[in-house]
Amino acid sequence: MANTVKIYIDDQAYEVPAGTNLVDAAKWIGNDIPVFCYHPKMKPVGMCRMCLVEQGSIEKDRATGAVLLDDKGNAKIRWMPKLQTACTSVVSDGMVILTNTPQVEQARQNVVEFLLTSHPLDCPICDKGGECPLQNLTMAHGPQGSRMVFEEKLQLDKHVPLGDLIYLDEERCIQCARCIRFQDEIVGDDVLAFHERGRSLQIITVSDPGFDTYFSGNTTDICPVGALTTADFRFGARPWELTGVPTICPHCPVGCDMTASTRLDRDFEGRAMIKRIMPRQNEEVNEIWICDKGRFGHHFTRSADRLLQPLVGGKTVNNWVEALNAAANAISAANGDVAAIASPSMSNEDLYTLSQLIGAKGNNRLGAWTLPYTGMDLVAQVGVGKGTNLGKLGKGDAVLIIASDLEEEAPIWRLRLKGAHDRGAQVIVANARHTRMADFASESVIFPTGTAAQWMNDLVNHEVGQQLAGATNLVIVAGAEGLTVDGHRALMQAAANFLIRTGHVGKPNNGLMATFPGANAMGLHYMGFSAEETLNIMQNPPKVLIIAGADVYADDPNAAAWLSKVGTVITLSMFPDEASTRGAVALPIQSFAERDGTFTNGERRVQRFYTAQGPMGAALPAWQVISRLGEKLGVMKTKTSAAVVMLEITQNVSAFAGARYAELAKVERQFPQVGGDDLYYGGTAYKNSGGLGVQISAAADEGAEVDYGTVNLPTAVTGDLIVIPTTSLYNRERTFRPSEAEIMAPRVPAPYAEINAADAQKLGIQDGDRVVIDVEGSALEVQAHVNGSAPEGVILLPRHLATGFAAPFTPTAGQVRELVR
Amino acid sequence: MPNIIYREKDVPNIHQFDVYTQNGGYDGLKKALGMTPVEVINEVKASNLRGRGGAGFPTGTKWSFIPQSEPVKYVVVNADESETGTFKDRQILENNPHQLIEGALICAYAIQAKAVYIYLRGEFWDLAHTLDQHIEDAVKGNLCGDNINGSGFSCMVYTHLGAGAYICGEESALLESLEGKLGQPRVRPPFPAQKGGGLYGEPTVVNNVETLTNVPWIVVNGATAYKAINGNEQSPGTKIFCLSGHVNKPGNYELPMGVTFRELIYEHGGGITNGKKIKAILPSGGSGPILNATDEVLDCKLTYEDVVKVGSILGSASVIVMDEDTDITWVAAKITKFFKHESCGKCTQCREGTYWLDKVLDRIMKGEGKPTDIDLIMNIAKNMQGVTLCALGDFAANPIIWTIKNFPDDFKAHIVTKAPEVAAKPAAKPAPAPRGKAAAPAQGGD
Amino acid sequence: MIAEKYADRISKTFAKYPDKRSAVMPLLYMVQQEYGWVTPEGLVEVAELTDLDPTQVKSIAGFYTMYSEKPKGKYWLQVCTDLACALRGADEFHKQLKTHLQVEEGGTTDDGLFTVEHVMCLAACDKAPMLQCNFHFHENLDMEKMKVLLEQWRNEVNAAVGKPVES
Ligand SMILES: Cc1cc2nc3c(=O)[nH]c(=O)nc-3n(C[C@H](O)[C@H](O)[C@H](O)COP(=O)(O)O)c2cc1C
Ligand code: SF4
Ligand code: FES
Repeated sequence: MANTVKIYIDDQAYEVPAGTNLVDAAKWIGNDIPVFCYHPKMKPVGMCRMCLVEQGSIEKDRATGAVLLDDKGNAKIRWMPKLQTACTSVVSDGMVILTNTPQVEQARQNVVEFLLTSHPLDCPICDKGGECPLQNLTMAHGPQGSRMVFEEKLQLDKHVPLGDLIYLDEERCIQCARCIRFQDEIVGDDVLAFHERGRSLQIITVSDPGFDTYFSGNTTDICPVGALTTADFRFGARPWELTGVPTICPHCPVGCDMTASTRLDRDFEGRAMIKRIMPRQNEEVNEIWICDKGRFGHHFTRSADRLLQPLVGGKTVNNWVEALNAAANAISAANGDVAAIASPSMSNEDLYTLSQLIGAKGNNRLGAWTLPYTGMDLVAQVGVGKGTNLGKLGKGDAVLIIASDLEEEAPIWRLRLKGAHDRGAQVIVANARHTRMADFASESVIFPTGTAAQWMNDLVNHEVGQQLAGATNLVIVAGAEGLTVDGHRALMQAAANFLIRTGHVGKPNNGLMATFPGANAMGLHYMGFSAEETLNIMQNPPKVLIIAGADVYADDPNAAAWLSKVGTVITLSMFPDEASTRGAVALPIQSFAERDGTFTNGERRVQRFYTAQGPMGAALPAWQVISRLGEKLGVMKTKTSAAVVMLEITQNVSAFAGARYAELAKVERQFPQVGGDDLYYGGTAYKNSGGLGVQISAAADEGAEVDYGTVNLPTAVTGDLIVIPTTSLYNRERTFRPSEAEIMAPRVPAPYAEINAADAQKLGIQDGDRVVIDVEGSALEVQAHVNGSAPEGVILLPRHLATGFAAPFTPTAGQVRELVR
Repeated sequence: MPNIIYREKDVPNIHQFDVYTQNGGYDGLKKALGMTPVEVINEVKASNLRGRGGAGFPTGTKWSFIPQSEPVKYVVVNADESETGTFKDRQILENNPHQLIEGALICAYAIQAKAVYIYLRGEFWDLAHTLDQHIEDAVKGNLCGDNINGSGFSCMVYTHLGAGAYICGEESALLESLEGKLGQPRVRPPFPAQKGGGLYGEPTVVNNVETLTNVPWIVVNGATAYKAINGNEQSPGTKIFCLSGHVNKPGNYELPMGVTFRELIYEHGGGITNGKKIKAILPSGGSGPILNATDEVLDCKLTYEDVVKVGSILGSASVIVMDEDTDITWVAAKITKFFKHESCGKCTQCREGTYWLDKVLDRIMKGEGKPTDIDLIMNIAKNMQGVTLCALGDFAANPIIWTIKNFPDDFKAHIVTKAPEVAAKPAAKPAPAPRGKAAAPAQGGD
Repeated sequence: MIAEKYADRISKTFAKYPDKRSAVMPLLYMVQQEYGWVTPEGLVEVAELTDLDPTQVKSIAGFYTMYSEKPKGKYWLQVCTDLACALRGADEFHKQLKTHLQVEEGGTTDDGLFTVEHVMCLAACDKAPMLQCNFHFHENLDMEKMKVLLEQWRNEVNAAVGKPVES
């Protein structure tokens, strides 16, 4: 290690990196200094006093720096008169620590005893029982019995809702302030605080909205007792009944590592059922955080609305053979005029198998259902370098977030980039309107709607551009807000050009990221799918179209129009969506929960998810369905497992050469150490036993010459009012299903549109009015929000809030009509 | 013996700007402005002036810790005065405010501070508003604010009101409070004098009101003269002793360091009320160890060093006197209520310990104590010692440990006799309230 | 709205500090003066003025005992019953005052005029028994003097919590 210091813990010498927190350093070398308030992801506060140790330093001659020796020839140690809190200490050369003296052990026992004087000791009915740091540290360090008279304990409220999702048990709270600090330091939304003082200290919120961030669930993980619990899991199961299955969040390009806690459940006919989702440590992906969508959004997998049996002609057939025959016949009859559109919810294995099928039976028309996003190919070229860790960006580094509402599109990136900003990185947020991320930026640039590509293309000529160019490391995160497909392509190309020109490609912590929809947009690219081909398919309909995992009607108001020109539609779907019920054949596929597979995240990390939940109906993994169909068509054999498919991928897709399942499952020790057997940081679930995945190289990483591309600047969308689709994290997509996760339902906004105050005034519309937006022949009824962030001339229309209609996915001229009030 | 601090005794109405300036007021500041900052610090250092806020830290040394290279520095005056039995700073603020302003500005000049904030406990509401007027007078007289007395040095003095929290007397909690946060002590290092540790993260000197009020005298008369006020090299100068409890003449007494308890209580304080015998002394309000008022103790000199020798601390020199009828268990319970109420709640031992002690003492006072309870509270208190973020944890432990050590019989009486609850007798002023070892006087509500 | 009514004082307050947050305590006093206690609306006003989250403002109001988060009587009588005062009869005085006004600890008289509570040391130990009424000290009291004061207060109805600051 480059810069290390020598410290002595219990008479053993260790070399540790300079500047490390003493608790973290000790834990790394196997000495668990117990803590309650300290958390390695947050600044130390030295409150709980559990981490007291004896501390001293080796005395040195001031002039010569030579170690002073006592009469016996041992180094002289200057001991501090009192015990010191390890959590507020940083290692320094010659530091001497004793963690096992009677004095230290007594101090620990005293802290535990003091904490228990106020604790209700209701472990038998506590959600945290079995994985509770307080419980564990009581076992390890606590006193034998209780000297506190039980009746003299404080009696407090045990069911305080801090928000809709999180409950506080005031009696169990040990005032460590981790939740408060998480909200303040990590999230940047300080809606929690202490109230009163002394023994009356309590966690409160009076904010409006209350404790309502997208990250609230994380507080229940870091809570070292059972004081904070989620409304979803409260009393759901006892931790020791649960089996942890490593999984990957299916919702966005971050690809958070998660653990599904499952058990064989009566409510699920004895099958394994996901009872809760918790984060799994992967320092380079999500550290130890996940957003509430990831945490609570697993309910869709058990939706009563799942497609359980194949459909032929819209009718249930209860018979795979019949359905597959119908599909095979249609494909055979198409004479090679077969194309596929796949969504980023499909795994790499599914996509590979599908591309094989189309390659064999069609003409390689593979559409990626990511519109308006394109440019996955550019991320494959100049995406962030191998070894990138957003958690390491800091002073001297820069991040540009452009045309994105990052908190809605990729919440954990937003969280981690706020951290980068806090560590001193220059973070610039550029968009046509204010977004949440701008609150955590060094600078917020507002450009006219739709001109992101122009701005990006021109950036080298501006001061901001100079600053970004000169940064040690530069990451650009591009969204598609306000952009047409051409506009997004141009933005991606302009961003790539900027990175290439300024030398910010081909190395860690530099390069291009995009807030692609879904979990596997990059997988689509690597398996040969492109958004451009989707546009082509829309314009030149094939005889047979296989739609895999894409809810095209919900995503595209024009779906009916272009699909009507397709001869036969075959869908692979989790739900009886419109394409499935209207199509010729619908084949039920499994969700991420019921099967194993891999996703490739926005940073090109291929990550494995494992089978967590029992099957639903006759649904099968998509790769299996496709290969059975392929076998019927005589173009491939039915594949036997996802692992085998991945083996084929590693042999045939060069970028994936190193992504064999065994490689993906490898785990290295991660710093800081939070999971594992020590539960001081709150929960077994952080432990990563499922693998850290493999980040595959961008072309630039491999030293490939990456050239500028031509930026074809888009033409502006014209009209008096332009409807701009936006992304809302909580929505009514089938793969979120807020109505199934009942607690999420009230959190999804009713369909609305943001209208600029000036426009609203012109149109005589007031905040809260019900209005109709006429766009491309459809009339969309929504509520008007007048005081939002919409620029003049723009209507912001969040996609996927309504189940009855689809908002356009690119900017479109529209009109607004007021409904009768 | 000069009245250095309470000059109103010699000069009536010295709180008025004109009276103050006509009687040598602001001469110290003017003189200091003609010296270099380092010279000022050295003079204060040489005087051996020690902090009057309780810890007795050498003031000049504290000032010299401020890194001169930092562009922004602050002086914060600790006028939180909330220790039980302490009421000395209040009298300064009332009667000799300009000398405090002057002292603070000399300090500001010595460390080249940008501003002075006087943090007053919220209950000094009226005082704060009159102090604002005094500051305005000084500004009008060009002795505060821009370009002070034409020297080129500018520094403004502001008042800031607390709102009822003893812990805000602790300097790092005070700084938090001044920044608009909860008054909870900070992790140190960094210390207030260091970058990152002071007000708004800038190097800051925090001094007590009385400490700074000494400074103009020292600058005008010199360190040597100051040291001559008292024989003790380490504790020179006058000190204000807040005398309260069972004495005939409670009040503030400005006396040279080294006066004995006996002189203070009997000569100045007029002896014990109702001709009773003295039983116990708390030399430093509620936070220092209680003393059995033996002859040895009564003859102890009041200096930082001597009071330690007899088993307590001089602290803020808030001498609370208790007569022979005082039930020391009741005293312990009373003080514990104070610390339970004032614990900021950050540290486990202090937050939980004060609550627990209070519960056990309550039951002892109710006559429901168990024989093991005395050992229990002794042990709880010991477990609170030396392990917390700030000294309040120790302060809360002290009364238990030392009341039991020095007055074990008072505790045993409650346990052994299992006395029924006896209502406290009405006490006509200045008759002391709690009487009788076995009695359980009503607590001041809770 | 204190923002308009106290505009002058607020701007002077902000001018004192390099950081807006420092103004939160002075502003809470203004809220208390205006509404008699720290009302939820008042919290939000302070939050808006200082760019803080209302929860943070509430936290401050809860930590410091001189902010009342509940309505109080017109006269908020806080009797020091701490050790030094208690040695000089403060507990008894406090009890008599409660009996006289027929209130419990922390309670308010039926006419809404007086709230009585005990507090910790107020730095007036040599002048016990004493109390503070709406933050003004009254010292060397006994029940006779107290009755006179109470009568006087009953007669003046317009006092608010906290005297307006002449700033
Ligand atoms: C719990 C606690 C309460 C304190 N209260 C006061 C106080 O009310 N006034 C004061 O001047 N110092 C108080 N101090 C001491 C201050 O922390 C600090 O040492 C002092 O203001 C320094 O000033 P000095 O060097 O002039 O004494 C307190 C300390 C502690 C630990
Ligand atoms: S010792 Fe008590 S008052 Fe001091 S910081 Fe700890 S909890 Fe707060
Ligand atoms: S004080 Fe160190 S972990 Fe809490």
